[in-house]
Amino acid sequence: MSNLSSSVKKSGNYRLTQLLSVLAVLAWGILLLKYAITGQYQLLIHPNYFYLMLFTSILLLIIGIMKTRKLLKTSISVVDDEQHLTIFPPGIGSSLLLLSAIAGLIIPPTVLASQTALQRGVTETLPLTSYQPQAFVTQTRPEERSLIEWIRTLNAYPEPDAYKGQPAKITGFVIHVPELPENYLLLSRFILTCCAVDAYPVFIPVELSTNRQQYPPDTWLEIEGAMTTHTLKIRDRSDTPKEKRRLVLKANNIKQIPTPSNPYSYQ
Amino acid sequence: MSQLHNAFTLFISLLVEAIPFLLLGVLLSSSLLLLVDERKLITKLPKNPLLGAIAGSCIGFLFPVCECGNVPVARRLLLKGVSPAVAVAFLLAAPTINPVVIWSTWVAFGGQPQIVFLRIVFSLIIAIAIGCLFSVQKDVKGLLQPRLIKRLNFLENQQQNLQSSPQEKVEVPALLQSGSFLLGESAQPLVMNEALLVEKPQLQSRKVSKQKWQQFIDNVLQELQELGGMLVLGSAIAATIQVFVPREVVFSLGQDNITSILAMMLLAAIVSICSTVDSFFALSFVSTFTSGSILAFLVFGPTIDIKALGLMLSIFKPKIIIYLFAIIAQLVFLMTFVYSYFF
Repeated sequence: MSNLSSSVKKSGNYRLTQLLSVLAVLAWGILLLKYAITGQYQLLIHPNYFYLMLFTSILLLIIGIMKTRKLLKTSISVVDDEQHLTIFPPGIGSSLLLLSAIAGLIIPPTVLASQTALQRGVTETLPLTSYQPQAFVTQTRPEERSLIEWIRTLNAYPEPDAYKGQPAKITGFVIHVPELPENYLLLSRFILTCCAVDAYPVFIPVELSTNRQQYPPDTWLEIEGAMTTHTLKIRDRSDTPKEKRRLVLKANNIKQIPTPSNPYSYQ
Repeated sequence: MSQLHNAFTLFISLLVEAIPFLLLGVLLSSSLLLLVDERKLITKLPKNPLLGAIAGSCIGFLFPVCECGNVPVARRLLLKGVSPAVAVAFLLAAPTINPVVIWSTWVAFGGQPQIVFLRIVFSLIIAIAIGCLFSVQKDVKGLLQPRLIKRLNFLENQQQNLQSSPQEKVEVPALLQSGSFLLGESAQPLVMNEALLVEKPQLQSRKVSKQKWQQFIDNVLQELQELGGMLVLGSAIAATIQVFVPREVVFSLGQDNITSILAMMLLAAIVSICSTVDSFFALSFVSTFTSGSILAFLVFGPTIDIKALGLMLSIFKPKIIIYLFAIIAQLVFLMTFVYSYFF
């Protein structure tokens, strides 16, 4: 039958594409395992999905190994009667997967910083994707609240003047925005709800006693001070800068800290 | 350089989050294709167009396939004499109304349950409405590709001489293949085509179960590489848009109710990302686009996109696809537009 002879002719090609798809699956299994072991997954996804990722990695490795054994056992594979695929020519999908996995193995993920924050538009409100607080509960003392907890509190009860005078100690990275005076910077952190793609930058403006140039963008700082309020014009999630009364941290003590290994907050 | 590194991180992040769901979807669809007997299912489907459309929309729960897997299944349903209402409703709803997709949407939008809920409701409305619309056409053949009609006629004849010998049955696939290269596009391959189904009762030795297992693994690999390839491209597009398109452009597009919906629908049609994982893709626009437009993306994407177009051409005449596309696009736009005014 003509079908059979063409099958034999195709079998070389077929084996190559099979090999590619097995390699792609194995490479992704290894990459996910690497992220799990090194902890780099924290820069990519919400820790809730750690076990899902680990399980996937193991499953991919099992599938890959099973198919490899099969490929090694049979010298001439039988080509399927039916040709699959119209989306891609055979092997393209696997090659894309394989290449991305190899790139992932070579290039470590980076920590998102001020550039990304500005691109996405910084805000003082909680992301749309996060669980919105339903009630205003403050159990933590103000100086123990993290930057995110401050934002959460502010979201539940958005009256900046209510927090005036409260002590605060927060950490985050520096963002410079041109619309603010020289002695202001934004201290910011990303909130992750699902993965780095939806990392959502929130900030609290900080009033310095000096020029902000001392603290270049992306420097991680731990700032101690007291909350106050000012009317500031900041271009947050809109095209034009909005003048608004905002909660501002007046810095008393600024300490430079190294980039934390888990720089994001998770929701 | 750091921009490029950011884009790469986002790209990998999307993949790492999406691949588990992709694998889950592929495993489920491969195993159910082996386990669920479509013939039994078909006898249980209601004849009434509305009920049929509703039933069709819900079959997705049995075949958790995304928009690449649903076309071959819908085609098989049509070939087996299922009414167009059921088949079309299935075609449009299955990519959204299925456990894996609902779960992944929940993972991405758990904080905004209305998005998850409305995605399901809007998709159901569209699938049922269009299913009913298609039931007006009494003769299915007016809608279908000539090649498929030929095959349908052939199968009808085949059914009339039910008591044909096994040899004849075995020959069916070869005969059919020679006439049609369309067989090629099925992402859910050979296992469930009619020839094999007919053979099923006779083949029950252990050798067969081993062979089935082999087919299962092959099918998983096949779909993984195909859908995974699409996912890689889609993720690359999402990461590039996020990092390299100037913020002003994204914001001015994304903040307006009308342009944001249109832009996201266009994106949904172009990006062709699998519905199992498209909610993660949509996440990257959450901060800059209206939630109405995100919803438009999630509802419109699974029904029609460039990738699925090729597959759908294997069922319907081009004219019918244009109708489908126009009706769905309008419905999605209207519903999400109303949503963005009410919320």
